[in-house]
Amino acid sequence: MKRSYLFLIIILLSVGRLFAQEWVVPVENAAKRSPFAFKDSIRQAGAALYMTNCKSCHGDPGKNNTVKLVPPPPDPASAQMQKNSDGDMFYKLSMGRGPMPSFKNTLSATDIWRIISFIRSFNDKYVQELAPSLAPGSTLEQVKILISMIKETNQVQVKISSVKDKVRQPVANAEVKLFAKRYFGNLMIDEAHTSDSQGIALFKFPANLPGDSKGFVQLLAKPTDETAFGEAKADTTLAIGVETYRPPLNEQRALWNVVQKTPIWLLLTFIFSVLAVWGLIVYVLLQVRAIYKSGSDNKKE
Amino acid sequence: MDNNSSETNHKNIDKKSEGSDSRRSFFKRFGVIGAAAAAGGAAIYSGFSYEETKPNHDMVKVLTADNKLVEVPRDQIRDMKVDVSRLTELGREGLPGKRFVMVIDLAKCRNARKCIQACQGAHHLRPYEYHINTLTMQESPNTAPYYMPKPCQHCDNPPCVAVCPVDATFKRQDGIVLIDNERCIGCRFCVAACPYSARMFHWEEPLFVEGDKGKAYNIELNVPQKKGTVSKCLFSADRLREGKLPYCVSSCPNGVYYFGDENQDAVTNGTTKETVRLSELLKVNGGYHLMPELGTKPRVYYLPPKNRLFEVTEEEEKKSENV
Repeated sequence: MKRSYLFLIIILLSVGRLFAQEWVVPVENAAKRSPFAFKDSIRQAGAALYMTNCKSCHGDPGKNNTVKLVPPPPDPASAQMQKNSDGDMFYKLSMGRGPMPSFKNTLSATDIWRIISFIRSFNDKYVQELAPSLAPGSTLEQVKILISMIKETNQVQVKISSVKDKVRQPVANAEVKLFAKRYFGNLMIDEAHTSDSQGIALFKFPANLPGDSKGFVQLLAKPTDETAFGEAKADTTLAIGVETYRPPLNEQRALWNVVQKTPIWLLLTFIFSVLAVWGLIVYVLLQVRAIYKSGSDNKKE
Repeated sequence: MDNNSSETNHKNIDKKSEGSDSRRSFFKRFGVIGAAAAAGGAAIYSGFSYEETKPNHDMVKVLTADNKLVEVPRDQIRDMKVDVSRLTELGREGLPGKRFVMVIDLAKCRNARKCIQACQGAHHLRPYEYHINTLTMQESPNTAPYYMPKPCQHCDNPPCVAVCPVDATFKRQDGIVLIDNERCIGCRFCVAACPYSARMFHWEEPLFVEGDKGKAYNIELNVPQKKGTVSKCLFSADRLREGKLPYCVSSCPNGVYYFGDENQDAVTNGTTKETVRLSELLKVNGGYHLMPELGTKPRVYYLPPKNRLFEVTEEEEKKSENV
């Protein structure tokens, strides 16, 4: 009997060790809730996002086929995963830790909530708590964002407006981020700015950022608070960058591309001189043959 | 006599007429059989050709590239053949207006070896065949060791390309140095010329040689690999064409790799997907090239291994020495 107690204690201790490194989520983040209800359409979108972003490690929910890593990635259907609050999950998906990557730069807040709705569909006991009713007017309708440039001061102006009481009005105190599109991702310009009473936020544009051959840069403006603004964003191309044209790297003549880049005069000179040398050799051989022939003719006579 | 002769004549005529009768009937019979055979054959042929061309409206379920399940009539399905020569042509041209560049932050590398595994998986290599490898470095007995991932440096002045006698290895307009395994004769001049030891030779039959049989050769992936030819890091040229980060860059769990376009002055971290200015990153962190004194002008930058968050254990050190 005593031995079995001891055994139990050892097991409990070892299980306790597994959970020793608790992932602590700040209180204000843990209290965060989704701004929209988890409907079937949201869940389906979440399933597609899960398949592309999470499945490679977390496997199929409920099938316990996660990748063997240390620490093991939990199965989304497991109690370990489901005991997290919605806010905990949102924080963990956004920030990442150790082998769990951070998704805050790759997925939008809406997409992360969609994935959480998919994970929750494996918990029968789950009842969704929506975000505490947002202050009236805090969810904005028909948000419009306009990007323009002020050439003299090298600034970019972002203007936000929305429809309130059927009238289009500027949105004040909205935090906005400005990005320049690059080949593999979006480069943040300046820092996040808050719009003034006119709904205008001004960004200092770096003087040396390269654009295309005519200086065009594709700009993207997004409000930080996705719960209020939804997925509103603006996408504009402005001639604000430095005109950049750099020739292809294999354009210049070099030791390693002599075959493609030979000038025609050099190629012709080379070919003719080779032909001339060979022609001379052939000529000499023919002459030798002629001498030999005339010699043997003389012998016969 | 006359009578006899006439009789015999008559008999002859009779015999003749009998003979001509049988020939005629033979032809007649032959004609009937022949016509029947021809008609039958034509019927069978027309039936066969109808079967060949008749619309077959059986529906077949097909999964499209964007993960949608659709139904297509069976007769509308065509076998797709990849045009290898066109692929090779595109692979030689490269992406216009780009100059790809990689930045490796040595301060963050903890020898997770995920980059190596992703690379070997993509290019069908064995665990001991490397396009990229992480080495344990120690410059002098009293300095701290660190890990250094070492891919091909994709030099702007590549000594390997200069020595190739058959134009099998070449530099593209976007800066990537590639190998055409269909042209390579296996002389290994390039292996000898490379100061960074970035190239490997396929001494044995490549991995998955059976499974890769009949696959269209992709010059931007070097798959299927070929025995007796040289292979090396390709900056994942096939992924760059799709606007994705290379295999190694996107699989690193520690944020070691940045990859981007020098013309846009931006590089993206493969782990956090954060995009930063290339010029600032190199300036602030003191970026450098490997062996700049050789004048090879590499396209891979290194950030020094300062403020390291890890220790190299003695065991690992020994392991790397054995490698």
